[in-house]
Amino acid sequence: MKHMLKIVVTGSFAAGKTQFIRSISDIDVVDTDFKTTTNEERGLKSETTVALDFGTIVITPSLKLYLFGTPGQVRFDYMWEELATGCIGYVVLVDSCRPAYFAETQHLMHRFTEITPAPFVVAANKQDDPAALPPMYVRRRLGIPAEIPVLPCVASERSSVKLVLISLLKHITSYGATSDAEDNVVDDAPSSHASSA
Amino acid sequence: MALEGSLEDMSLSDLFQVFRMGPKTGVLLLYNRHERGVIYVNQGLLVDAFVVSGPERKVVASKDEAVLYMLDWTTAGFIFRHDPSVVGRAVQIKHDAEWLVLENMRRHTSPQTAVPYRKVTLDTRLQLSPIPSNTESQVSLGVDQWRILSHAANHQTVREICAETTMPEDKAIRIVAELLAIGLIDVSSAIAPPTKATATSNSRPDPSHPDARQSAPPVGRSLLSAILRRVSEL
Ligand SMILES: Nc1nc2c(ncn2[C@@H]2O[C@H](COP(=O)(O)OP(=O)(O)OP(=O)(O)O)[C@@H](O)[C@H]2O)c(=O)[nH]1
Ligand SMILES: [Mg+2]
Repeated sequence: MKHMLKIVVTGSFAAGKTQFIRSISDIDVVDTDFKTTTNEERGLKSETTVALDFGTIVITPSLKLYLFGTPGQVRFDYMWEELATGCIGYVVLVDSCRPAYFAETQHLMHRFTEITPAPFVVAANKQDDPAALPPMYVRRRLGIPAEIPVLPCVASERSSVKLVLISLLKHITSYGATSDAEDNVVDDAPSSHASSA
Repeated sequence: MALEGSLEDMSLSDLFQVFRMGPKTGVLLLYNRHERGVIYVNQGLLVDAFVVSGPERKVVASKDEAVLYMLDWTTAGFIFRHDPSVVGRAVQIKHDAEWLVLENMRRHTSPQTAVPYRKVTLDTRLQLSPIPSNTESQVSLGVDQWRILSHAANHQTVREICAETTMPEDKAIRIVAELLAIGLIDVSSAIAPPTKATATSNSRPDPSHPDARQSAPPVGRSLLSAILRRVSEL
């Protein structure tokens, strides 16, 4: 029997979500990037994710961790709810080189806390650029409370992505895990239902 | 790659603060319709600056005056690029960034215009900035600025500080805006998004809460440990 657990990677346009999942996934990431449409978007990158990124990490022969990336642009935010449902936690990726997207990121974080009570960490991405804003500044500008980790991140480096995921898992552990029951393992067999709890 | 945006997204005084936090070395370019400005930053310190205007690139301000000039811009675009070659550049700017930001405010009546996205209200809760103060800092604070600073250490709101110091509210708000702009204090997480984790950190999500209806129940510890082990091995 195969089980799945879900972690969502979200963030504003071009924050690095596709890159993040690509760096850590066991499988070739199924992405759905299409040519960007507006001039502003095109200035930043030529492709954007319109549906979702998807990667997996095999935990045990019967358990897989699924990573889902949300489409970055607000015009696709109707998909967030579906993606966030049932996730054990999520990563909010922030482009540390583009303060113009901070307001959108705040909006996105607000929506996510409405959609799901799952714990999250914030990853200040693109820290390989020496000009990048430091995580401490990102925390202040986004108004992230002290108990939520804000981590430096380089989505293109596997080791960095790994550290972010470990922090998220530790954060989930301290936040709500109190039982040994495998109670929100989702059966990914098509015939079974979401939760056994 | 570079740090890019508009001063509407991030004020010049915030940029100076970030340079100092790094500390960063590089070139900051600012541009609006008719003018272009350049500030050279070495190890977080502003070393040289100038502003040119029009197609003939006439220099309209240089050194300290150029920084003061650009502190008046609120909508310009900016690009900051790391550039180690600035290290060898002669220091032309006499004052440090904090002094220049304060001096710019002294020349104006409304310091809040310098920090458009951070509106100070009586309910704004303050904290000391985590940035270690620069030993070479030439910033000199007045008595009232020191009073506010000492209360910010206690995470008080502007209203609470007014009550304790009997300082008029408009004056307190003005001084708080100044101290925010030069990076000595921060807004405490009173502006935080209403996260579930804030309200109930370290507790299980309340299943009676409407948000919990579609959420996954808490994950078993043994499962999380297995995932943690696996991810650590990656
Ligand atoms: N320097 C640097 N560039 C990065 C990093 N992560 C992503 N990028 C670049 O940033 C751009 C956007 O990355 P994507 O992974 O496509 O971002 P996204 O969040 O999936 O974007 P959308 O799906 O369009 O919202 C690409 O050019 C990446 O190569 C990083 O850690 N450092
Ligand atoms: Mg993408």
